[in-house]
Amino acid sequence: METEDYKISFFKPTTERARLNRNLTLKLFIAWAVAIFGFQILLRVIEEPVPEEGLISFTTAWNQIEAEAADTDAFKAAALPVIQVLGKSSLKPEEYDVVRDALGWMVARVISDEELSSLQEEVINFNLLRNRITSLQDEEYLAAKEVIELKAGSALGVGQESLLAKLLPLGLDNDLAELSPESRMKLPDIMTTYLTHNRSVLTDTIFLGFPFHYFYTAVFLLVFFIALCWYYCYRTDKVHARLNFTEQTT
Amino acid sequence: MKRIYLLLLSFIPAVLFAASDVTQLEGGFKVGPAIILILILSLFILVGVVFRAKDTTDYYAAGRKISRVGSGMAIASNWMSAASFLGMAALMYDVGYHGLAYVVGWTGGYVLLLILMAGQIRRYGKYTAADFIGDRYYSSSLRTIGAAIAIVISIAYAVGQFGGIGLMFKWVMGIDYLPAVMIGGSVVLAYTLISGMLGVTKNMQIQYIIIISSFIIPLFILTAKFDYFWLLPQIGYGSVVQDIVEGIQITEKSGLFNSLGHHFAIVPSPEYAMPWDPSTGQTFFQWVAIAFSLMIGTAGLPHVIQRFYVVPKVSDARWSVVWGLFFICLLYWSAPVYSAFGKMLSANPEVGKLAKDAIVVYTAQLGDVHPLIVGLLAAGGVSAAFSTVSGLLVAGSSAFAHDIYVKVINPGATPNIQLRVARISTVLMAIIITIIALFDLALIAQLVAIAFSMAGCTIFPLFLLGIWWSGSNRAGAKAGLITGSLVTIVALTYLVGAKAGWNLPFYDFISYYLGAWYFAWIGAPLAIAVNIIVSKLTKETPVEIRQFLIEKVHS
Repeated sequence: METEDYKISFFKPTTERARLNRNLTLKLFIAWAVAIFGFQILLRVIEEPVPEEGLISFTTAWNQIEAEAADTDAFKAAALPVIQVLGKSSLKPEEYDVVRDALGWMVARVISDEELSSLQEEVINFNLLRNRITSLQDEEYLAAKEVIELKAGSALGVGQESLLAKLLPLGLDNDLAELSPESRMKLPDIMTTYLTHNRSVLTDTIFLGFPFHYFYTAVFLLVFFIALCWYYCYRTDKVHARLNFTEQTT
Repeated sequence: MKRIYLLLLSFIPAVLFAASDVTQLEGGFKVGPAIILILILSLFILVGVVFRAKDTTDYYAAGRKISRVGSGMAIASNWMSAASFLGMAALMYDVGYHGLAYVVGWTGGYVLLLILMAGQIRRYGKYTAADFIGDRYYSSSLRTIGAAIAIVISIAYAVGQFGGIGLMFKWVMGIDYLPAVMIGGSVVLAYTLISGMLGVTKNMQIQYIIIISSFIIPLFILTAKFDYFWLLPQIGYGSVVQDIVEGIQITEKSGLFNSLGHHFAIVPSPEYAMPWDPSTGQTFFQWVAIAFSLMIGTAGLPHVIQRFYVVPKVSDARWSVVWGLFFICLLYWSAPVYSAFGKMLSANPEVGKLAKDAIVVYTAQLGDVHPLIVGLLAAGGVSAAFSTVSGLLVAGSSAFAHDIYVKVINPGATPNIQLRVARISTVLMAIIITIIALFDLALIAQLVAIAFSMAGCTIFPLFLLGIWWSGSNRAGAKAGLITGSLVTIVALTYLVGAKAGWNLPFYDFISYYLGAWYFAWIGAPLAIAVNIIVSKLTKETPVEIRQFLIEKVHS
């Protein structure tokens, strides 16, 4: 690396120590780059956008609804994936409003007018209570919630011990009868966005309980970084010992 | 300073019970956590006083008396900021797998730092980044600019930390964000002024123990409580991730509830773990750009580079990176556990939208972990921010006092005057940081990522080429620095413009490809390329610089 006119360059070493250091650094750099970016590129290359089962049933049912050929079963089939999306905590507030609007409308389509009127009252009462309570354990609030779980759940064919039933009370707005044109337009895109995921053999293989790609990135890569650093220090000390090289400090 | 602090304390009762909601996660003043926080901060101050700086060598480089493991702990503590402690879990909670780009970026950068710089920086023997730049590129103006950049980076980095301190003080005291930031900022300033870097380094070792213990203990409790493999939570949470992907029905874990009484259940949520999921709005390009920018930023951060000056030998500088990275990874393996449990425990919409940057603490609360342990966790968050802020304030004030005041303004300054200037500049920096932090501009980790991209575009190219290519000269350095700075200015202009509602040209294109959290992906290579081209076209580096590089840095 050193020359008589004091020129240095990482890529043109002129001493044995510098050459060994360059080779070691390059090897580790390549291993580092491949481990990080190579894996992510592989993940990107082999992935496929895969819809959840719910999206497939929703799309079929929604097409019938749009064609005004939907029966009660079609509305039920569309409503269940909608509740599922409603339960995703990553849902943005404006999307939450759309999904809520749609769910109420779908529930209204699967129950009789009399039941609808009763459910509507329960929902209004529940939403009023929600704004009033100071604790989620408020007895009146819990009772109102349970009634909606039971009524709306049974209308959709969802058992009260189901997670979807527990989500229902929070997913119904005060106006069950109407679906705004804006919500109608936005709903399919929201459903597609939240129910389609990039998957591959790397994401579907389970390793130590993790999806493999997650384990690789969150756990293994960090171990690998420490190993690379340890190896660099170990090899450098060995080379220095072999060459009787003592590092000076300023 | 003491008066200001007492004045701020006098505001506490008026706002003490301001924060409260139906979930009771914020609540009012928390006595247990407050006592733990006060005890820990008192310990820091005590250690700072005992090991306080006696002269400038102590202040800047801790007397070069720190061992490899001790230095590794100090590196880890200095590094493990509010962004690591609070911000990473927040990002993964928010955007799932995309957040892992930050985990990889903030650890992978240490490999670059080690193989490309650590030993050489120690051999070069300069106290600050600006000192190195000015000396290597034989330019007092570059030294001054380098110091100014180091100060700006330190401020940008510390803004996120002050935000984290504010959030934790807010949670403990049950007060609003604004007074919480002011109180927290005052305490960290007082601590840094009292202790100096020797105290800081000693404190960093103690802080590391507190940070990592407070972070990991709740994980054993959470994994055990919710029936996962608890002996090694950093592996046991893999099943939590898979459960989030596949969903858990109420009947599957029927006896388990969060602290609000919701079943431990979740609808299938593959978006949490699947790469660049459409629902997150994040792309493959952004994942790669963030990881890359954070990695080169790591190798260019002044307060990180400065840690290598405090070890006795060059080999110690190298091994301290290994230890430092190991200690850092203990936390980085653990942060995703919080985001996974946070996702699970807040799955019921009744929990509402939680402040993402406080998700670590909320997760422990929702998991019904004992309040004192949650308090210890919050105190750990404050410690993480404290350790980093004190390092940043020392780096920033060193840059001003050593590289601007002594080298440019008053070359005849005595060590006492130099120390006084360093302390005054520390106060000024803290005031500026507090004011910016009050605006609550973005998530903590994102604010910190800006500092990384700035360092990647400006300081990293100067160090990389300065160490490894004698052909890089003053003109090339200036041209490269201007290029990196221009990229930085454009990216930050579009960030501020978006916040202010300005109508900027090509907004979608530029805000995507020069995103504020990752603009170094292009800024750094451009700065390096311009540096090389201009250096080739201009007068060669003086022989004495080249001789120094060979005889002192590479021999």
